[in-house]
Amino acid sequence: MNEILEMFQGLANGFGIAFSLTNLTFALIGALLGTIVGILPGLGPAATISLLLPLSFKISSPVTSIIMMAGIFYGAMYGGSTTSILVNIPGEAASVVTCIDGYQMALKGRAGPALGVAAIGSFIAGTIGIIGLTFVAPPLAEFALKFGPPEYFALTLLGLLMATLLGGSSIIKGLIVVVLGLLLGSVGLDPISGAVRFTWGFFMLQEGVDFVTLAMGMFGIGEILINLEKKLTTELVTQKITHLWPTLKDWAESKWAMLRGSLIGFFIGILPGGGAVISSLVSYAVEKKVSKHPEEFGKGAIQGVAGPESANNSAASASFIPLLTLGIPGNASIAMIFAALLIQGVQPGPFLITEHPDVFWGVVASMYIGNAMLLVLNLPMVGMWVQLLRVPYAILAPVIVLFCCVGVYSVRNTVFDIWVMGIFGVIGYLFRKVDLEPGPLILAFVLGPILERSLRQALLLSAGSPFIFFKRPISGTIMGFLLIFIAFQILARFRRRRRL
Amino acid sequence: MIGVITAWSSVYLSMGRVKHPGPGFLPFGLALCLITLSLVLIFKSWKGNTPSTPFWPQRTWLRPLLGVSIFILYALVIQRLGFLLSTLLFLVIWMKLIERVRWRTLIGVSIATTAGLYFIFVFFLEVPLPKGFLKW
Repeated sequence: MNEILEMFQGLANGFGIAFSLTNLTFALIGALLGTIVGILPGLGPAATISLLLPLSFKISSPVTSIIMMAGIFYGAMYGGSTTSILVNIPGEAASVVTCIDGYQMALKGRAGPALGVAAIGSFIAGTIGIIGLTFVAPPLAEFALKFGPPEYFALTLLGLLMATLLGGSSIIKGLIVVVLGLLLGSVGLDPISGAVRFTWGFFMLQEGVDFVTLAMGMFGIGEILINLEKKLTTELVTQKITHLWPTLKDWAESKWAMLRGSLIGFFIGILPGGGAVISSLVSYAVEKKVSKHPEEFGKGAIQGVAGPESANNSAASASFIPLLTLGIPGNASIAMIFAALLIQGVQPGPFLITEHPDVFWGVVASMYIGNAMLLVLNLPMVGMWVQLLRVPYAILAPVIVLFCCVGVYSVRNTVFDIWVMGIFGVIGYLFRKVDLEPGPLILAFVLGPILERSLRQALLLSAGSPFIFFKRPISGTIMGFLLIFIAFQILARFRRRRRL
Repeated sequence: MIGVITAWSSVYLSMGRVKHPGPGFLPFGLALCLITLSLVLIFKSWKGNTPSTPFWPQRTWLRPLLGVSIFILYALVIQRLGFLLSTLLFLVIWMKLIERVRWRTLIGVSIATTAGLYFIFVFFLEVPLPKGFLKW
């Protein structure tokens, strides 16, 4: 009882922080930017957050900068649906399935209801996700206080492997990316003994590979370069969007889809490596199975828009849970926010809620507000955002590249960093060329130090016996889950191959 | 495709052999993983005999290459020409060489972007951007 009271008190304090003028402004900026990058195809939330990382050095308060970045992340989930529905190109990855039925609805002249249902579903699901975050995070963090090095090792390993196995098409390629990321993360001074590793004599590398430079190169520059190859043309289906507010019939058809989507999104979002993209795919599959008229899917079924769009939003909110309670980010965007927290001197982890209650509750409260802002931004003003699609990529690309250059320069005031970012940009481009996902690399880079430290501490504890990971109850459970998961994946692949 | 991955893994193979006592424990293990994984991937792509699609079909390499070249140029001149001049040049060259933006829009966008960046970073964030020989 006492704990619940404490939660409400924390939340009330959080609203006090979030309602300050600066924080409201930055929440609005985040929501706006998120909507914009969500709408623009070829620029994802992870890339955008990476672009803004240098700014977070200059914003003095950690709450403010995280509020803005969180806004970009969940704002993109709103905006992405607009492009999917109107242009049949996903504005960002989590809206891929929305194209299927959303675009069909638009072709039938029902773009308005599709957009409306997507926005309302996003709002409901986002809010459900945050309510979940509010109530699940504090007890989970308390539980996580019991975790020792073996538990952390098991958790990070689980997060990394799930991110690879669920994300990419090829397991081996995914694992290669993860290993590369871990190796990159180990450049610099060894965290325990202080020995210098892999610097090849470059003094600048002793501090390690800088996360900001890496992220901006791999995501910002890399994404621009790969997009230069394609001609991105956007053709709108309809010029006029009417009937945004769904009719009673639409509402009756889609409300359960929204609710199911929210729950699916929430539980997938908590899982390490889960997240918005997978949750929307799962939700679409579920809706198709549950529906009494599965033949309508692919021809403009409103549930096919409502479910996935809800799922990706509640997943976005839920994926803050592992970050804020365990200190383990589950996807690339969250990894960027993790890095931003570290830049601000806040260590994400089980102590976050007790040591920095203002950060935790401030950000949570701002997410409630941000979701309401986004509903307003996306329902009545959607026509305005659609105009954004007319801004040609030809103009956008050089502006973004310049922003990266100046941004990365501003962190340490050296041109050296611009060079390093350029190199990572070319690597990021080649990654995308050979079908390697840069997301797990960023994740592995961030998790690498945690993984290594916990592994070595655990082995010190057990005097070198690797069985320590299986003997302790919590880490044993996680490891067991991991093994079952791997076995399941391998089985599924074999079965698929046999069918082919 | 195969060639790229082979070259790739071999670069990291040599890195994998660097073993430090103590702190090298995890990196060494990782390097071993990487070697095995690369070998498996090479073996698979060699056995699978996938019809090799050209890596860069029909001159698609041209625009990214131009982009990278302009980027390199920018990094080279920024300290000599200063932020304002080199940024303007960057925008004009990029939009004229890679895309075909009309002169009117081009000039407008270039000036607006340069001014915007200058405003954000110099006034708002107080970053000392490089000044060139003209002192601005």
